[in-house]
Amino acid sequence: MIKENEPLKAHPSSGQKIKEKVKAALKKKHGDETDEDENANGSLLEVSNLTLDYHLGKRKMRALDRVSFSMERGEILGVAGESGCGKSTLGLAIIKLLPEIAKIRRGEVLFEGRDLLKLSEEEMNRQIRGQKISMIFQNPQHALNPVFTIEKQMTDILKVQERYKNPGSLKSGDFFRDQAIERLRSTGIADPTARISNYPFEFSGGMKQRVMIGMALSSGTSLLLADEATTALDVTIEAQINRLICSLAAEYGTSVLYVSHNLGILSEIADRIIIMYAGRIFEIGTTADVFDTPSHPYSAALLESLPSRQARGKRLLSIPGIVPSLDKLPTGCSFHPRCQFAEEICRREVPKLKFVSDGHLSACFLDVKRGRQRWKWI
Amino acid sequence: MLKYTIKRILWVFPTIIGVLIILFSLTYLMPGDPASAMLGPRATPELVAALNERLHLNENMPVRLGYYLVGIAKGDLGTSVWSGHGVGSLIAEALPHTVLLAVVSLGGAAFIGIFLGAFGAIRQNSPISGVVTFVSLIGVAIPDFVAALLLMLLFCVQFPLFPALGAGADGDIVDIVMHLILPATALGIGWVGYLSRLTRESMIDVLESDYIRTARAFAIPRDAIAYVYALKNAIIPTITVIGLGVGKLLGGAVFVEIIFSRPGLGKLIVDAVYARDFPVVQGGILVATLLFVFANLLADISYGFVNPQIQYD
Amino acid sequence: MQRSRWAKRQVVSSAVLKQRSNPVNSDATSHSNKSPDISGMRLKPLWGDRIKITLRSVVKIKGGLMGAVFISIMLLCAICAQWISPFDPNAQEIMQRFKGPSFTHWMGTDYLGRDIFSRIIYGCRIAVMVAFGAVSISSILGVFLGVISGYNEGKKLDYFIIWLFDIVRSFPQIILALAIVAVLGPSLVNVVVALAVTAFPFYGRIARAQTLSVKEADYVKAAEAMGQKPLTIILRHITPNIMTPVIVCLGMDMATMIIWESGLSFLGLGVRPPTASWGIMLRNGYKYIQVSPWMILWPALAISFAMIAFSLFSEGLRGALDPKERDR
Repeated sequence: MIKENEPLKAHPSSGQKIKEKVKAALKKKHGDETDEDENANGSLLEVSNLTLDYHLGKRKMRALDRVSFSMERGEILGVAGESGCGKSTLGLAIIKLLPEIAKIRRGEVLFEGRDLLKLSEEEMNRQIRGQKISMIFQNPQHALNPVFTIEKQMTDILKVQERYKNPGSLKSGDFFRDQAIERLRSTGIADPTARISNYPFEFSGGMKQRVMIGMALSSGTSLLLADEATTALDVTIEAQINRLICSLAAEYGTSVLYVSHNLGILSEIADRIIIMYAGRIFEIGTTADVFDTPSHPYSAALLESLPSRQARGKRLLSIPGIVPSLDKLPTGCSFHPRCQFAEEICRREVPKLKFVSDGHLSACFLDVKRGRQRWKWI
Repeated sequence: MLKYTIKRILWVFPTIIGVLIILFSLTYLMPGDPASAMLGPRATPELVAALNERLHLNENMPVRLGYYLVGIAKGDLGTSVWSGHGVGSLIAEALPHTVLLAVVSLGGAAFIGIFLGAFGAIRQNSPISGVVTFVSLIGVAIPDFVAALLLMLLFCVQFPLFPALGAGADGDIVDIVMHLILPATALGIGWVGYLSRLTRESMIDVLESDYIRTARAFAIPRDAIAYVYALKNAIIPTITVIGLGVGKLLGGAVFVEIIFSRPGLGKLIVDAVYARDFPVVQGGILVATLLFVFANLLADISYGFVNPQIQYD
Repeated sequence: MQRSRWAKRQVVSSAVLKQRSNPVNSDATSHSNKSPDISGMRLKPLWGDRIKITLRSVVKIKGGLMGAVFISIMLLCAICAQWISPFDPNAQEIMQRFKGPSFTHWMGTDYLGRDIFSRIIYGCRIAVMVAFGAVSISSILGVFLGVISGYNEGKKLDYFIIWLFDIVRSFPQIILALAIVAVLGPSLVNVVVALAVTAFPFYGRIARAQTLSVKEADYVKAAEAMGQKPLTIILRHITPNIMTPVIVCLGMDMATMIIWESGLSFLGLGVRPPTASWGIMLRNGYKYIQVSPWMILWPALAISFAMIAFSLFSEGLRGALDPKERDR
């Protein structure tokens, strides 16, 4: 996929292909209505100013700080960053599965026009979770209940969804079983009719993740939150699973919020990318823009620090210092203590996302029109 | 698992042989002349001689051991010196009462304890959780026979609500139940405390796990998650403990039977000890021990059924 | 906005956890990883250090502190019984039988007019003697056999010792103790012996399991390579490093021993009257349950007090010795 000696950059072709596929799928769904206008009315997801804290004893950790972005239908939005930057928290916040110690201070999460933060738990269950918005998690090993068969777990979910969508419907148990088998088949699991009666420990990690994808993705899913979905898998399986996610998402017209620290994967599958650091968004733009011309020193450093064949024999760049603790963030730009190019203003004020080019924003005070060459880290 | 089960069962046999040897040695090591001790003040030289003959007490140790083992193998546990009845029949008469008490106590405690613990885990701030802690403290602090005495003091003497002695008239269910309530409570309260605390801790652990998070992400209703998905995982350690608890219950049952004058294996053994009726003591202890061993064996094996992973390992 | 109440304890994201935990924890080198200096290792400093660290941690945990206080009270009663108790526990005042609590007799009198409070204090002495005596014997015996068994894993000696353990463990504990006392005759010493015999396999099993893992450690292998005698290795290297779970077990075991002594005495198969043991007081109280509630109430409370004391202390001990729980 990535040729030798070629620096990491986005593959615009994959993005285009997906967009075409999505258009075709949506056309199928809505018939011949002018879907362009319809969907252009509002983005699928609009997050504005989302700010939330974790309360650990006396400490308050700001996990998300004024996070704002939007997602369109059918696009794959990658969220990148080091561990602890808040990318997992973002996914959990959208589907509202945060632990009790998390308190949302400000912000809205508009999904198809409605603010999810204002919905009650009951409403979330009835309309959103598992139906419109699904989430798959990092470690498939533990994501399935070990004492129940796959069949029971999948049919329970399907039954619950059926009950929410059509209360009072009386479908037989077999109906759900068949539906579950079809889901398994669509994710590429061989001989689903037999395997559905197995227990999770009889599946490999990759297969378990396929089961999760089968449960999460269906024709009605508008948004899939993938939280490091393939991080815990072998590299070869990783590629298969990612391909599966992309193809199913394209088929169903699902948008994907793909959270990962692996820039390589994101370069291949994401349309747009968000770079996060210590709870703030540092850069957002199309994959091509961010990878080819990173506007923020941090993004440039991240890309620079990836090992590549060009840098063979040379020292790997590592960004000096460590990620700050979320309860003791530096003043001003949270990256300034580690930034080679930091200036006085970086210490005093918090940079807001500024326009770099069409659809490309970056939160840095310094002249953002500088290309990648400028941010050469030593 | 099959291999493990077979090995586990086979190991029981040498253990039982050791048990028999020890049991036998107890009588052999008793200071003084066994026969006169058994007969007590009724001992005349003729009676002593006759008893010695009957019990083969004049032979040397290996021979006596031989007679003993042969007798066991034939199912003959000897005859009670006191009453003349066969030890086997005495035990057979007493055992069902003990079993009934054990089952009711442990079963009730398990039922109440597990649900209490589950509640306590789900609603950690509610008074139920406080109840769980309180009951578990009581269970720790008050051993079963002390609890039995206190219960008797409170509910038979100070506030005469329950009958104090006996097991109730045969065939009269209500009467039997009335006679069961206090003893079962005395035995069970320690268990309720322990099991509820164990279940609660286990539930809290399970509720934090990834698969519960998955279930929530897919909108499974709260009650289903708690009482079906989480509970089945959470009770695995509890069931193990219950299996092992049967043995401890036998010990507690001894006291409860004495205090409430209930017929049962425990009372039989202790009364026989007072009366120096050693065949009954031996036979009773043997049966109690066999039950204990059997219960442990069952607990080990049945663990495999609760936890499907073990089945295929 | 209604929050799901039991999302409370859900796992916090790993990132937050990472920032919460201490990056450097000098106490984290758990005991079994510590490689003591082989050539110059002496038992005394090792034990002294550990005891100091442990006690400090125990006291930090509030439950442990309360438990320690309670136990100290019990020890005080046991040792200074003659000076603390207002009356001679065996002094009978027939005119004062079955009296309830009053200014002279704080807990009332029993069926022979003896002061219950004094008998409780002396009973504390019996309880403490039995608990410490039985636990010391059974733990020393059990650990010794367990370590030997573990060190000789797989050999006949090991199987023999395991067989011994399993036989004794097959008996329901109280019944075995009962039988032993029945054979030997009731007395304080016999009770201690009987209880010790029923309990040693538990220590043995723990010791053996710990030995199995410790004996693979490098310092043991080094000692063997240097030609140290097996007995020396066992005493110097293995035993100190397996003591953690054993010590935790000790705490709870003492409580259990007190209960059984009371139980055996209650059945008349324990300490002989007129010695004041809580079990005997319960026995008498049982006989006169219709007449006086006080004869049962006070010993029952005393036993509960002892139980709570040792439970709290051993919980504290467990929390202190578990490396994961430290530094909270």
